[in-house]
Amino acid sequence: MSRYTPPEQSKAGQIFDIVVVVVAIFVALWLPLKMGLAGAAKSIDALDAKTWEALGQNPTMASIWEKLGYTPETAHDIIQNRFHYVIDWPTLIIMAAVLIGYFVFLFRASDREYRDVINEKFDDK
Amino acid sequence: MWMALSYASWGISIVLALWMLYDWFKVDTTFSEEVLTSSREGELEAVSEKHRI
Amino acid sequence: MTVTLEPAVHGDRVSLLRVLGPAHVWALGVGIVLVGEFTGWNFAADKGGALAALIVCWVVGLLYTSVAMIDSEVTSTVAAAGGQYAQAKHIVGPLMAFNVALFLVFAYTMLEVSDAILLGDTIVAKAGVEGLTHNSFIAATIVVLAWLNYRGVLMTLNVNFVITAIAYISIVILFFSVSPWTQGAVLKLNELVTPGNALPYGWIGVIAAFQFGIWYYLGIEGTTQAAEEVRSPARSLPYGTMAGMITLLIAAAMTWYVCASMMPWEYLGITYYPLWDAGKLTGSPLLENLLFIATLLAALASANGCINDAARAWFSLGRDRYLPTWFSAVHPKYRTPYRSILFLLPIALAFAFIADLNQAITFSILSGVLQYTFMSINIVMFRKKWPLGSIRRGYTHPFHPLPAIVLFCLCVVTFFAIFLGFGSQLIAMVAFYFLISLWFHFYRYRFVRRGDQFTMPWPKPQGY
Repeated sequence: MSRYTPPEQSKAGQIFDIVVVVVAIFVALWLPLKMGLAGAAKSIDALDAKTWEALGQNPTMASIWEKLGYTPETAHDIIQNRFHYVIDWPTLIIMAAVLIGYFVFLFRASDREYRDVINEKFDDK
Repeated sequence: MWMALSYASWGISIVLALWMLYDWFKVDTTFSEEVLTSSREGELEAVSEKHRI
Repeated sequence: MTVTLEPAVHGDRVSLLRVLGPAHVWALGVGIVLVGEFTGWNFAADKGGALAALIVCWVVGLLYTSVAMIDSEVTSTVAAAGGQYAQAKHIVGPLMAFNVALFLVFAYTMLEVSDAILLGDTIVAKAGVEGLTHNSFIAATIVVLAWLNYRGVLMTLNVNFVITAIAYISIVILFFSVSPWTQGAVLKLNELVTPGNALPYGWIGVIAAFQFGIWYYLGIEGTTQAAEEVRSPARSLPYGTMAGMITLLIAAAMTWYVCASMMPWEYLGITYYPLWDAGKLTGSPLLENLLFIATLLAALASANGCINDAARAWFSLGRDRYLPTWFSAVHPKYRTPYRSILFLLPIALAFAFIADLNQAITFSILSGVLQYTFMSINIVMFRKKWPLGSIRRGYTHPFHPLPAIVLFCLCVVTFFAIFLGFGSQLIAMVAFYFLISLWFHFYRYRFVRRGDQFTMPWPKPQGY
């Protein structure tokens, strides 16, 4: 098998490639934040009676909260801020499909490239 | 005291950043690109670790 | 072994310096991870309660024990800078390697960002001065550590060893000063974790907690990045990694026990400084200040190790022409990948100024889990292409393929856990990796020399 000789890349091309990667990184990390997609479904289940008992805290817990500088009023929003785990099937299926598709592509395309590498490396000798 | 520490942090950051930029510039103008990018993967293994059993 | 320590090697070639021992490997691994005990792991309590945090501590510990075992075997054999990147390149193929390197750079840079934010916020919280913002401390952390990394790997990791050890010892001191052998005096585990509140969300909460359970150990696999700078990789890497894992399992257990026995889970789940808070709650100013300093040191050690690892991964990408070769420059005097260190510095700074702690942590965890999924498949392919006996391995891990299967299953569970909290981010992130993979496969790869990528003196893989 003949050796593959890569083309020389111009300076401008190199800089352009770096810019592409950096921009892609920023977009990937920023888009979800900008679109407000980040973060789990957490919401406050408000209680009317704001006492340690109503918040489900026993005397030991209450004494620690107080030591940390909280009152039942200020602790209310922390304690009653709960997750609501719901399995959203369409999203789950999309996520699974995206992940599996990604890994399948990764391994198949890598294998194609890998065969070239092995051929060139071991047929030279 | 904390405010002073904060200003000191800015100061140190700027000084060290400038020093790194200066050193970078100096190295890149003193040595050729061939020498700087001459590191090769697995070079030492080839001499030091024999994968024979 | 014929390893030279003289400044010049191989004529006018410059390469990274082989100066590190097993203690440095330990310092790199544990240094990166230990900050997880000071912040981060406790969000697992938020997701599923105090008991869930303990369950994931052990189960995710199992995941990472598998990671450490698998990693030790592959990396003691493929000893090159870039760690898992070089493994992927030799075992799976170039595109996989490109992705793995990006996982590494993302995971470590975002972890570095989290560390810097944590450090800045901790100082601001301690000072309690109006008008004081965390920006100057973030900048100083990132720049000073980049400078340290720029000036040489030996000093960098010596510093890491010292500060990691101090942070670790402070956890041990805290543990023994709250009389862990008697409940009721300082520790009140049975009153704080009751049958009624141990698992407030049931088992789905335990699964959701996996996401932050990862934070107990994330980064221990970074030990492999030092492969090209360790004096005897085949011995030091497995030894340092395993010792690191044992250290972390002990620290994680102590941290959980002390924190869960001192704070209600609702508070534990939202605080950014669980250990510092525990120090405060003991009422001893000495312990409080000790844990404050330890939190800062742990964040520093972690950011320091992350800069080291991310720069090496980026450097390796340049060396193989996956990215412009410009990045593969080694500093002729300090023998560090100085251009990669400098290039990643402003990126880390930018994110540290604009992202918040939770987001940065999630990005880091996501890239980490993608990488572990790869590792579980990688080891199976490694054993298939080069069965035991066909090449010399520095370390052979037992019970194969059990660790790989365990690792893979736990990764699937963790993906589900991330879906419960950050599903859209996961999809966006994978979409990014997918697009950049297309870019690499169809465009960028044309600049890569084919046969040169395979650098190990091994026989041809079986089946090719």
